[in-house]
Parts: sequence; structure tokens; C-alpha cells
Amino acid sequence: MKPSTLAMILAGSRVDELDVLTYYRPKSAVPFGGFARVIDFPLSNLLHSGIEQIAILSQYRSYSLINHIGTGAAWDMIGRHRGISILPPFKDNEDGEVGADWYRGTADAVYKNMDFVKYHKPEEILIISGDHIYKMDYQEVISYHHKKDADLTIAFLKIARSEAERFGIATIDDEDGEQGGRVLKYWEKPENPQADWASLTVLIFKPEVLYEVLQKNQATDSYEFGKDIIPQLMAEGKKVYGYKYKGYWGYTRTVEEYWQSNMDLLGDNPQIDMEAWGLRTNMDHRGICDAQPALIRDGANVTNSLVYNGCVVEGTVQNSILFPGVQVAKGAVVGNSVLFFNNKVGENCIFNKVITDVNSTFGKSVCVGSAIGTVGGRVTVVGWNNHVTDSVAIEEGATIYPNLPPETWSEHNIVKAGEVLK
Amino acid sequence: MRNKKEALVLLLAGGVGSRLNILVQSRAKPAVPFAGMYRIIDFSLSNVMNSGLTKVGVLTQYKPLSLMRHLGTGESWDFTGRSRGVKILPPHTGFKDSDWYKGTADAVRQNIDFLEKNPADEVVLLSGDHIYNMDFDAMLGFHRHKKADVTIGMMVVPMSEIHQFGAGIVDKENRIIDWEEKPENPKTNLASMGIYVFDYKYLLDSLYRDRKEFDFGMHILPRAINNDNVFGYPFYGYWRDVGTIQSYWEANMDVISRDSAISPEAWGIRTNIEAEGRAADYAPARYGYNTKIRCSMISAGCVIRGTVENSVLAPGVVVEEGAVVRDSILFTDCRVGKNAQVDLTICDKRVNIRNSAIVGAGENHKIPNILHPTHLYTGITLVGKEAVVPDGVSIGRNCIINSHSDDKSYLAKNIEDGETV
Repeated sequence: MKPSTLAMILAGSRVDELDVLTYYRPKSAVPFGGFARVIDFPLSNLLHSGIEQIAILSQYRSYSLINHIGTGAAWDMIGRHRGISILPPFKDNEDGEVGADWYRGTADAVYKNMDFVKYHKPEEILIISGDHIYKMDYQEVISYHHKKDADLTIAFLKIARSEAERFGIATIDDEDGEQGGRVLKYWEKPENPQADWASLTVLIFKPEVLYEVLQKNQATDSYEFGKDIIPQLMAEGKKVYGYKYKGYWGYTRTVEEYWQSNMDLLGDNPQIDMEAWGLRTNMDHRGICDAQPALIRDGANVTNSLVYNGCVVEGTVQNSILFPGVQVAKGAVVGNSVLFFNNKVGENCIFNKVITDVNSTFGKSVCVGSAIGTVGGRVTVVGWNNHVTDSVAIEEGATIYPNLPPETWSEHNIVKAGEVLK
Repeated sequence: MRNKKEALVLLLAGGVGSRLNILVQSRAKPAVPFAGMYRIIDFSLSNVMNSGLTKVGVLTQYKPLSLMRHLGTGESWDFTGRSRGVKILPPHTGFKDSDWYKGTADAVRQNIDFLEKNPADEVVLLSGDHIYNMDFDAMLGFHRHKKADVTIGMMVVPMSEIHQFGAGIVDKENRIIDWEEKPENPKTNLASMGIYVFDYKYLLDSLYRDRKEFDFGMHILPRAINNDNVFGYPFYGYWRDVGTIQSYWEANMDVISRDSAISPEAWGIRTNIEAEGRAADYAPARYGYNTKIRCSMISAGCVIRGTVENSVLAPGVVVEEGAVVRDSILFTDCRVGKNAQVDLTICDKRVNIRNSAIVGAGENHKIPNILHPTHLYTGITLVGKEAVVPDGVSIGRNCIINSHSDDKSYLAKNIEDGETV
């Protein structure tokens, strides 16, 4: 049967606050959960929701993302009526204004691919962000959307008002009690929030409503769903409904949030339960299907942690997440940290509250991050492909840029707290 | 590509491997899981791939379903493409009533049409039963350099073990001048690894010559050694036939040994993760607050809350709080309940050891299994696929718990050493 829903994932952006982790990849391709990528969460949600046509809007350093999506088979997206298309920006106007061909915003990205959207003749268009960690059955939102015969249905989560200024915020009436209601007012990132329902960037549009509003939006100079499209529809008095979501929602907008979302994977009853959620990833990406089961050697001590295949642990690992190919040598202590693919931690190193991007090596007795035994300090971030020499100390909250030349470390035996080493 | 010499690979994967007992109850020996996420045949297939060989026929016979599912399209070993491929060659009826393979040479002979349809310069004949890391390209180079009709992969084994193998005596040029099949009073410690390179035409001629020659080791090789150019290719790496429970267990222990005698990832061993249905998607292994893990291999999808020592855990194994797993091999999705103990045991898939049960109790390793004394005599206990070990049951050494045993299967709380359930 031909699918009725077309899903579009907004995966194009680099997020400044994630800093060195997004220098070479869009945020949606940032590793998460010890083997996966952030975008695997929405993709797995789509799989489990039975949504079979997906487009991914991508323009920032797409390579990592394209590589990760592959054929789409990992999410069962190959078949007669199933598929994932990656939609990059393209050259269109010959002598038009500079930069007009790039996606100038999320709404512009969808507008520029309108022929693709219409070709699929969807009955509803689901627009989601590729940047969030959550488990949602989109069919529930879609059926609510149909029940209300809404022009636009948005999923919202109740949050603390003190955090509300960062989100699209709405007041929703209780037309359907716990399930949802009519959106009465909507503010994008309000300075003084008057409500506590935050938009999760899960939007379901009636196609003709979307086509019309995107067309109108082209006459303006700002092209964002949250900032422009939703307020426009509200102003036109369209039927905008709010679906009230109650599950877990993990943000990854800043390094601290990203670290916290990682910590939510740990504990006896983790808030993010990848097994229960049925998280799927592309096992061919980085060849993780070829990694042998982890070797936990004599003298190792691994507690409250996630360790994927391909790791070799001889030291102590606590409250941490090790991606494939990570090695922790004898005497090393790794705590409260997230180590991406193929990091090699040398003998007697001490890591606390650290995020290291892929392929870095650390000599003997390197100290990175907060004082041991504390979790309060700032997160320390090491960009990819660094080769830190013996006995270097990188203090709490420091940021190490990717690919630093090896001689860096003879000049910087100590990187001060909060320092940014470029 | 075509102007290069090319070899065709035939992989003999039909063996029953009956000494592996209940591990081969529902699968052929090459399909027996190994080192957590692999199957025995992955080692041969990956060696073929890593040697740059691209055309493979796999001869099956005994319980081939699990094996066929595992091979799939062959994509895992890069055998898909215009000039690459892996073909399953099951037994088929011919002109006579009994067409089951009577031996290795007979098996190849019955698939002679496959050989004829795939002309090559050489045929590499392998067994799918061995754990090893070998470059067949180097062996083919040796074969071509010697202008041999047949080259046999050979390695030095302890004198005490040579009676299990074909044994060859070589001259200074590595030409094999004498051959003994499974000698009782061996004159050499150079053993055949069951890996042969045949000149393509020579193999066809040998197979056509006499249809009563069923076996390579017994018939074809001795005659070739007497009349033609047969060389021994010396191999010095790790190679192991895992045909017995004891050798299978030891080889698994070699994976976790300090010096990693077997190192699947470093050897470039590939497996088909999709054949397991959902093995591909296991999340990282989860370690609880009070784990003690020593010298073990832990696959993705495991949840460890207890103690694991010197053990190999396949994907999805759960070890609950207070449980102790020691010197054991647990296949996919086994569960070890709270305060249960598993010692010197091999558990097939989805075995459920309930709370406080003991598998491998007592210290007497000397009473062999009563039904299969030649299979289990070193203390290892076997638990079959999807068997349940009920709360508080204690199982001794050298025991066999048959697959799908449930609460009703146990007539007593204590299963004595050597007993079978």
C-alpha cells in the first residue's frame, strides 16, 4: 500500500553550542548512546510508527549523515513503497541573489523541495527535528490530528517555566483533557514565558495548508517553522492543535545538555532505554558490525556503564559510555565520561566528566576534566584526532579543538580550566 | 581482472560434528556459534574474503538451515557483485538411490557440474570446521611456484594428537613423499589441516578417474603422492579443529586469554549479524553498580549485574545480581538469575537459569557423562537450547541438560555428575 504520510526530518544544521562536536558533522549525526547517532532516535520512531516515506533535509557537512543513512535498510526503509531520500540544497536561480539557493531556514528548506513533497501526494506531512532524544508513536499524534481535522498539530511537552524562554511556548486548552487541545497562543522563545507547554518540533500539517503558508512565507525574510510558520497560522486563525506528550525528552543543544542526556542512559532504570525503545542504527557505518565483543581484562572494573563491542578495558570505568573501539589501559580511571569511537586512553590516565570525539589517543598519566569524585564541574570536550602526550593535564571545562598538531602538547602541558585550545 | 590467475573455493560444510553433542542437535558444525557473535564457518569464509578469493561454493548436507540463513547472500563476506558469489550446494538426487555424500571427494564429485561451470586455474578445498587465520593467496603462490598438482596445508602438531589427522612426510623441497591417514604409530608430527589447493584440471581428472574413491585423505591424496606432484605448504599460525567439546571450550578460552591467541577482529573475521534476526540492533552492554568482571568477552546487548570470570558471553546475555558465571560459554540471550552459579558450562541459546540454581556443582570433574562418556569427561556441563534450570536445582559436572527441558523434566533437585536430563 502506498504510504499516506510523508515525514521530513530537519537535519541540516550545525549547532554552535555543541562546538567542536559539530565542526565536521551536523548535530543529527553526533554519536549518542554508545553506538548510535542522534538521528537514529527519530528514525527509529518513524520505523516503529510505520511511516514509510522519509526525506532528510541536510545542508551542513552532509557526508557523515549520508554515510550513516546508507540505503535506509537499517530502518527497514527499502522496499516498493518505502524509502529515505536525502535532500541537499541545489543551484536554482542563475543570477539571483547570493546565497538564495542555500536553505535559508527550516521552512525554506521544505519550500525548496516542494516538487518532491507534491510528487508523493501525502495525506499529511510530518515535520520533525533530527536533533532530539525521545520515543514517540507518531501515529498517535497523526490520529489526533485527523480526529480534530486540524490544519496543524504540534506535539508539546510540559516543562519548567524557568526553561521556557528557549522554546516555542504555547497555551493549550483542555478540549481533550490529557490528550491535547486547541493551541490558544504561541510564542517563539519568549523573554517572559506565560505558559509551560514547549514545542517538540513535531509538526503535522494538512498538505494544502503547508503549501499555502510556505508560499506566503517566501515573501518575508525569515523562514523558520517555529519563528514564522506557526505564528503565521495562529494569526490566520487556522485550526492549530496541541498534542500533549508525556515521555522523556532529551535535549542535545549544548555540551552540558548533551552530557546530561548521555547520563540519562545510565542507572538501574535508565530514562533512555535503547533496548526497550527498539533503537536501530546503521551497523555498517564505521563498520561497527565488525567489532568483536568487548574484552574485559584482568584488573578491569566496570560499573554503571555502557560498553559496546570492540572495546578493550583494563582499567576502571564508572558512569561512562564507551563507543566501539575504545581502549582503557591499566590503571586508568574513566568516570562520568562519554568516549566516542576508537579513543585510546593510556595507562594511569584520569578522566572525569569528559566528552572525547573520535580517534583521539592519550598517553600515560593524562588527566582530563573535573577533579576525581566530583560531577559538578563543567564538561571538558576534546575534538577528534588529537594525540595527547604523556602527563598532560587538561582542566575542567576546557575545550580542545580537533586535529591539533602533535607539537601543541609540548607547549601546553597544562590546559587551564575553561581554556579553549585551538 | 581476467588475465590474473583465479581460484575457485569449495567449502565443505556438511560435517555432522557429532562429538559436539547437543550443540549440533539443530545445526551443522560450521554453524555452531563461537566467540560470542561469530559462527565457526566465519573463520573460513573470512579467510577466503581476506585472501581476495571471490567465488565460493559451500557444500552442505547435515541440518543446513541455520547455515544457509547465516550465509544469506554472502554480502557479509563481500561475495556479492558481478564476478563474485557464494553458492550453496546441497546434496541432490542423481541416478542412483543413495546419493548422500559418501565422503569428501564424493561430495565434490557430486557437484562436478558446479566445477565445470566455473572454470578456474585452481580449486581451493576447505573445511568449514576450523578456527584459524590463514592467507590462501600466499598458499596459492606457493602452489604455483612449485608447479604442484596438489598442495596441502600442513602444520606441526603434538605427537600425541597426530593420530587424529592425515600425516605427511616431506623432503627438503616440501614435496610430500609419504602419507599416513590417522596413523597409530606416526613417523611425523606434520599434520594435514584439511586445506588443499588442486590444479583445476588435475582435480577434475582425479574425480572422473574412479568413482569409488570417496575420500580425499583416504583415496585421492595417497595416489597423488605416489604418482604426481604433491607439496606440503607449511603453516605456522593459529589453527584449531574444534570438533570436541573440550577443544571447542579451549578455543573459546583462547579468545579471552591474555595474549589473545584468537583475535577475530584483528584477523578481519566477519559475520552475518542479520542472520540472528535482531542481533544487529543490540544496544551496548550494560554494567550495573555491583559487577565484578574479570578476563571475559562481553557482547553488545548483555546486561551484567553480577560476577563474570573467564567467560565468553554472546549478545543479549543477562547475569543478574549475585549470580556468578565462571569459565563458561553462554550463547545468545541466555539468562542467569539472581544468586545462580554457572561454572565450566556451555549454554546454548536462550537457556534460562533461574534464581539460585547451580550449574556445574561440586569439584569432581572425573565422572564422565554416562550416555556420552567420550564427549564429556573433563568436567564441562552442556545445557541445550532454550532449556530451563529451575530455581534451586543443582547440576553437577559432565552433565547434559537437553534442549527445551523445563520444570517437569527434572526428577530431582540434584542432578549428579555425569547425568543427563
